[in-house]
Amino acid sequence: MRAAIRQERLVPAAALLLVVVAFVLTPLGTGSPLTTFDVYNALQGFAQIGLLALAVGLTMIAGEFDLSVVGTYAVGGMIAVQAGQSSAVLGLLVAVAVGAAVGAVQGALIAWLRVPSVPVTLAAYIALLGLAYAISGGLSVTFTNRDATLWVDQTVAGVFSPRSLLTLAAFVLVAVVLGGTRLGAELRAIGGDRRASRVAGVRVERKLVLLFTTSGTLAALGGALLSFSFASANPDPGLRPLLIAAVAALLGGASLAGGRGTATGLLAGALSVALLAQIVAVAYLPDYSTQLFYAALLAVVVAIDSPGLRRALERVRARTRPVEA
Amino acid sequence: MSGPLVVVDALARSFAGVPAVREVSFTVGAGEIHALCGHNGAGKSTVVRMLSGQLAPDAGRIVLDGEAADLRSRQVAQRLGVALVDQELSVVPALTVLENMTLGDIDAPLVTRRRAAVRRCRELLDEMGLDRLRPGQLVATLSMGERQLVEIAKALSQRARVVILDEPTATLSEAESRRVFAAVRRVAARGCAVIFVSHRLPEVLELCDTVTVLRDGRRVVTAPAADLTVDRLIVHMLGETPHRLETSRRPDPDLTHALRIEHLRVPGRLADFTLTARAGRIYALAGQLGSGASDVLRALAGLHARATGSVQLRDRAVAFRSPVGAARAGIAFVSNDRKGEGLFLDKPVAGNLVATRLDRLGRGPLVAAGRERRTARSLAELAGLPPDRLADPVLTLSGGNQQKVFVGRSLGRPDVHVLLLDEPTRGVDIGGRAAIHRLLRDAAEAGLVVVFASTELEELLELGDVILTMRDGRVVDTYPGGADGAVLMRDMTEGKDAA
Repeated sequence: MRAAIRQERLVPAAALLLVVVAFVLTPLGTGSPLTTFDVYNALQGFAQIGLLALAVGLTMIAGEFDLSVVGTYAVGGMIAVQAGQSSAVLGLLVAVAVGAAVGAVQGALIAWLRVPSVPVTLAAYIALLGLAYAISGGLSVTFTNRDATLWVDQTVAGVFSPRSLLTLAAFVLVAVVLGGTRLGAELRAIGGDRRASRVAGVRVERKLVLLFTTSGTLAALGGALLSFSFASANPDPGLRPLLIAAVAALLGGASLAGGRGTATGLLAGALSVALLAQIVAVAYLPDYSTQLFYAALLAVVVAIDSPGLRRALERVRARTRPVEA
Repeated sequence: MSGPLVVVDALARSFAGVPAVREVSFTVGAGEIHALCGHNGAGKSTVVRMLSGQLAPDAGRIVLDGEAADLRSRQVAQRLGVALVDQELSVVPALTVLENMTLGDIDAPLVTRRRAAVRRCRELLDEMGLDRLRPGQLVATLSMGERQLVEIAKALSQRARVVILDEPTATLSEAESRRVFAAVRRVAARGCAVIFVSHRLPEVLELCDTVTVLRDGRRVVTAPAADLTVDRLIVHMLGETPHRLETSRRPDPDLTHALRIEHLRVPGRLADFTLTARAGRIYALAGQLGSGASDVLRALAGLHARATGSVQLRDRAVAFRSPVGAARAGIAFVSNDRKGEGLFLDKPVAGNLVATRLDRLGRGPLVAAGRERRTARSLAELAGLPPDRLADPVLTLSGGNQQKVFVGRSLGRPDVHVLLLDEPTRGVDIGGRAAIHRLLRDAAEAGLVVVFASTELEELLELGDVILTMRDGRVVDTYPGGADGAVLMRDMTEGKDAA
């Protein structure tokens, strides 16, 4: 049982440590020293998937899974570009509002109809893709507001950009809510044991609506910032962002069983994934090796996490030491 | 203070047409500790769920401090000052002790004021004798007893007028129970009304001022604890002595057919269990929650990976540390959790009946549909299930028929020699119960070893050819069938030393 505390912190810490060490050691392979630009680039990669990872991770902590985030990500980016041609702030706000609304509707369906989150969010993902095509006519839409594009990616303090700082701020906000408020404890409680939470007096349904509203908001914000940065919005980002976000959340110590995970853990997970991609870029390794690295890292984490391994250890312990009852 | 704090007035509730509570009335005054006693199924828990806002009554009313209370939800109940320690553990392992203490508390501040909360939590833990625990510790790292104490501390900390404790001491040791009693007395002295549900009769008489006994959903008696003894209580709870299903068969003298269990142990749950169970006999393990009775069965069925000891069946050692090993040796287990560890509820009756013998129904990887149908039909007949329901999902059946499917699944299989059942008639109505008892008796007559665990005295007396009473992970005593119910009850609740 003690393992439960360790994993929540150990898994993300181990993942981040491993990747940071590898990152620092890359000059040994490439022969050229690391620059602040490499760190900036890694943080840009973090900004690209961080908010998605946070959205997915948050729903996992509460014992749910939101597949629709990648749809909201696409729609958010599309709406931000279309509504933000003259005012980027307006575009951002509209995109976030739509994301929140999409999340709220899904949360309401899941909570009050008591249906599992996977089919609901899968259906929403497909519907949102359709919506993104409908808005754009199936083509990438160019963002002509050059000032906004330049602003979101300008360097701040050498390694940051407004985009990565906003992403970090979202993590800090979620960390404060999860760790220091009644709402945070209740979200983790409904992920850990829903029946017990209900008996204790937690209003589970309301919390679920809020949860999906939040994940929708975060995903739309992530999509909007990305399309500002690319100066274009793509109606179909594919499934890759979702998969990478899920990998980041798992590396961040969240469990599909729910109840486990912290915002700092998710941050570590997202940073690990971004750094790993940057290592591949700096070392001029072929692009596909990123995927192999993700898979390997995830495999290690899943093994640490597995009840089978724990059970085997328990059995060995029972056999070696005849336990007094 | 005028009049009682809690008035329960002619409360009634049925489930699917079966009445669970019928016109139950009692009152609890401020500062009074009031016990609710009765067998499993007597209606105690239903009364508790209605009082705590988890279940709406069909009829009757609850009056709190002179005002009729409409307890629509846990939140409403809490706002009206009703705190609950649930029968099942309701602390969340994924949260810390401190977070659990304030979880669901409507008075908790939105943003945790850490220092004040930690101080308050510390005080509550110390009061409960939990000075070893830290407020920031995850509940997952606590023992079951400690978790229960945390939950009790939580309920007592809420500014409640009425505190309900549903079996708070079932999993606690003697010393831990003492601390709970002290805390309960403190709360009552503050002017709260306390409703205390327990199976442990001596502790009821020691702690409580007044006792209400329920039987079959009705109130039998309400009396001051001082006027009662354990034996009088048992008489009230029992009603008349149940009728016994006699066996006509002599026990199988061939020891190789017997299930021989030696020094079975499960760390923290079962101290030591030895039994030679002969074929053709029904063995009853009598024990309350936490007594180890159900752990014996679970260990034999391969569900306790850390169990040790030796188990022999048909001259072969049973590999009882995994469910597959147990099943291969010919041990079939009917869990007390039909939903979690038993049936495929959304699948048809026929599929459930044949689910554990698919390899006998065809060649190689293929299942012969015709043979599957015939087998299902004959098993349904054997188990007394309506043949026209074979295609319906198990979910649509009554509790009694669901249980027949579960038992029927293990019948008529030449490779099954031992049938283990944990609470064989939990959630089953009277008619279904008699039918299931008949099934078990028939299985024993057919030469199986049958071992079941139950907390219900009637069931133990009706079925057991040999009755083993258990408490605190040990066998208290062994009796032949037809033993005195009061003696069994005393063993289960007090053990030997208290007698």
